[in-house]
Amino acid sequence: MDRREAIKRLAFLSGGALSLSTVAGIMGGCTSKSNSSGSFSPQTLTDAQNDLVIQLSERIIPATDTPGAQAARVNEYIDLMLTEWNTKEEREHFLDGLDRVNELSNQQYDHDFIDLEEADQIALLEELEQQALDEPNPVPDSDLKPFFDMMKEFTVVGYYTSEIGASEELNLNLIPGYYDACLPYSEVGRAWS
Amino acid sequence: MENKNYYISNPPEEYDAIVIGSGISGGWAAKELTEKGLKTLVLERGRDVKHGEDYDTEHMPPWEAKFRGQGDRKLLEEEYPMQLRSNVINEYNYHFFVNDKKHPYQTDDENPFLWVRGYQVGGRSLTWGRQTYRWSDLDFEANRREGIAVDWPIRYKDIAPWYDYVEEFIGVSGQAEGLEHLPDSKFLPPMDLNCVEKDVKEKIESNFEYRHMTIGRCAVLTEPHKGRGACHYCGPCSRGCSVGAYFSSQSSTLPAARKTGNLTLRPNSIVHSIIYDKETNRATGVRVIDRLTKESREFHAKVVFLNASALGSTQIMLNSTSDAFPNGIANSSGVLGHYLMDHHFRVGASGLFEGYEDSYYHGNRPNGIYIPRFRNINEQTKQDNFVRGYGFQGGASRPSWGRGTSMQGFGKDFKKKLRDPGPWHFGMTAFGEILPYEDNHVRLSPDKTDDWDIPQLEIHASIKENEENMREDMAQTAVEMLEAAGGKDVSPYFGEYLVGEGIHEMGTARMGRDPETSVLNAHNQTHDVPNLFVTDGACMTSAACQNPSLTYMALTARAVDFAVNEMNKGNL
Repeated sequence: MDRREAIKRLAFLSGGALSLSTVAGIMGGCTSKSNSSGSFSPQTLTDAQNDLVIQLSERIIPATDTPGAQAARVNEYIDLMLTEWNTKEEREHFLDGLDRVNELSNQQYDHDFIDLEEADQIALLEELEQQALDEPNPVPDSDLKPFFDMMKEFTVVGYYTSEIGASEELNLNLIPGYYDACLPYSEVGRAWS
Repeated sequence: MENKNYYISNPPEEYDAIVIGSGISGGWAAKELTEKGLKTLVLERGRDVKHGEDYDTEHMPPWEAKFRGQGDRKLLEEEYPMQLRSNVINEYNYHFFVNDKKHPYQTDDENPFLWVRGYQVGGRSLTWGRQTYRWSDLDFEANRREGIAVDWPIRYKDIAPWYDYVEEFIGVSGQAEGLEHLPDSKFLPPMDLNCVEKDVKEKIESNFEYRHMTIGRCAVLTEPHKGRGACHYCGPCSRGCSVGAYFSSQSSTLPAARKTGNLTLRPNSIVHSIIYDKETNRATGVRVIDRLTKESREFHAKVVFLNASALGSTQIMLNSTSDAFPNGIANSSGVLGHYLMDHHFRVGASGLFEGYEDSYYHGNRPNGIYIPRFRNINEQTKQDNFVRGYGFQGGASRPSWGRGTSMQGFGKDFKKKLRDPGPWHFGMTAFGEILPYEDNHVRLSPDKTDDWDIPQLEIHASIKENEENMREDMAQTAVEMLEAAGGKDVSPYFGEYLVGEGIHEMGTARMGRDPETSVLNAHNQTHDVPNLFVTDGACMTSAACQNPSLTYMALTARAVDFAVNEMNKGNL
């Protein structure tokens, strides 16, 4: 159901009791600020780190028949989180992790991560994932997670809460209008975001 | 002079009635008093919130929330630490919860009490859980039967017509089950159970005598009702609902009160204390401090209703001292502040359910399942190591992308897997009764005050052996039911519970038959001061295990009816 249809249905179900401000609010959602084009200057990441984060996020959630993490600007979300949300320890741990990705990449392939072939990027990430499984608590006496886990969590949350992830990859339904407790999955086709 | 607000900014001094608080019970007091023709002043300590207009985050998609719904962690940890621990506050609704830093209280480090509050017009009715259950005589007779605390001065027959009255106005959706200990309400059509819930219901009911499962009974409209719109199943009710599909004082009772022309609603008005006149033995009004300017002024009325939330009302009473009542108004018994209760929870179980991979749902049902109390409801269900009981709330669903953070892998296959919903799982949490204990109590801090020079509340509460034993049983029965229903990987969970986090805090100005052991009589009238009424959660003599708001509403409507009759007879 598109948004206009949703509003019509909502107005019907609510006996026409929709206030203008509600409609304005719903319609306002149609023009998203986050989708406006424009240059982005990271606040915490350096330009090089930002490029690396873009590559890593795209390998975790790549473009397929729908856009991936890069198109969803997951890097911008990650930079915001590092700047305003995470603790200093978490931020430093994550930034150290980015450095280690390139160290590892140079050791094994003689190049920075972003210059690797896709298959090599994937192989390196698999190695990081295995390390994370082997060593879930990399910093003793702290809650810090392995870099791979942080990066993956950032990417998953950032992607599926983006307009692309929530409404193109998955099924967005901000105003369902009715409840159907049991219907064939094929009629929905994708998970609700 | 143009007055854009529905309240008058310079109200006259004299009213027929004053209601302190604009939440669930205050809204009901306002509606009933104004509809009976009384010029009524409603005092709300918090800011004004305009119904609909001020629900800024309603239907907001996640990408428009700065932290994608995770909230401003630093702000919340720094300024909302207690509210945060309740797990109900998030980026979309935190503006409806108090800033703990600005509204401090004292509690124990060892057993902190979580005091979750909403200071705004509408109070916590904007964010409440909307679950709506009647009590029965199993609850009203429990204290007397077991010799615990004091007897309730009312029985089911006293409140039943008021349940009817309230339900018909607010709109309660649910399924009639004919259970004696959980009487049916006047229902709007129920919401549906999903396919896994139907299966689990059938297996629980066929495997266990006295155990039932029903759709949650909730104050959410399944069809248009009294000018309010039906639910459109967007899901996150606590952001506010501009069509008024769930009951709040904003959507329901305050508009009704306003329609009479008898309502004056005054936000930003913190009640310091009740003014008492010894000559007439009456409350003559209240002292109010303006939240913003800190100026104080008085308002006078013939009758005063306290609806400031259980602990808010008790705090005001404790702070209303006089020669006649050195320990707080209407506190000749000395029990004011004692017998604080809540519902204990954070115990339950969850399990996976196979065989329904082809089924899904459409819409976010703001409601779950309910398993009514099945312990100590008769001789056959009597327990050796605890009295009273608990009910379960929960439901079945399929996780979406959120499971991705703990799912192994990445890349194309990972993305493809997350495109489909995960396996069905059924989770349920018990909500249990806490007994009234004298030492679970509040008092005014002897030395700490808030920004308005009002003594802070000191809150001491813990659960005890009866609750601890009940919690063991909760986990066990949750597991046995889900296993009997065919669940896989059924695991109990046993979380830490802090008193208060049920956000059903109640008691501290209890009803009773004897003025020496209770604060309120059978009509929520203080034994000591005839024109002072307390009809919020403070009045409760025991806690039962059902969500309590419906009972507060019914007691409020009943108390107003009594008060106005008494006024007309010249008795107040």
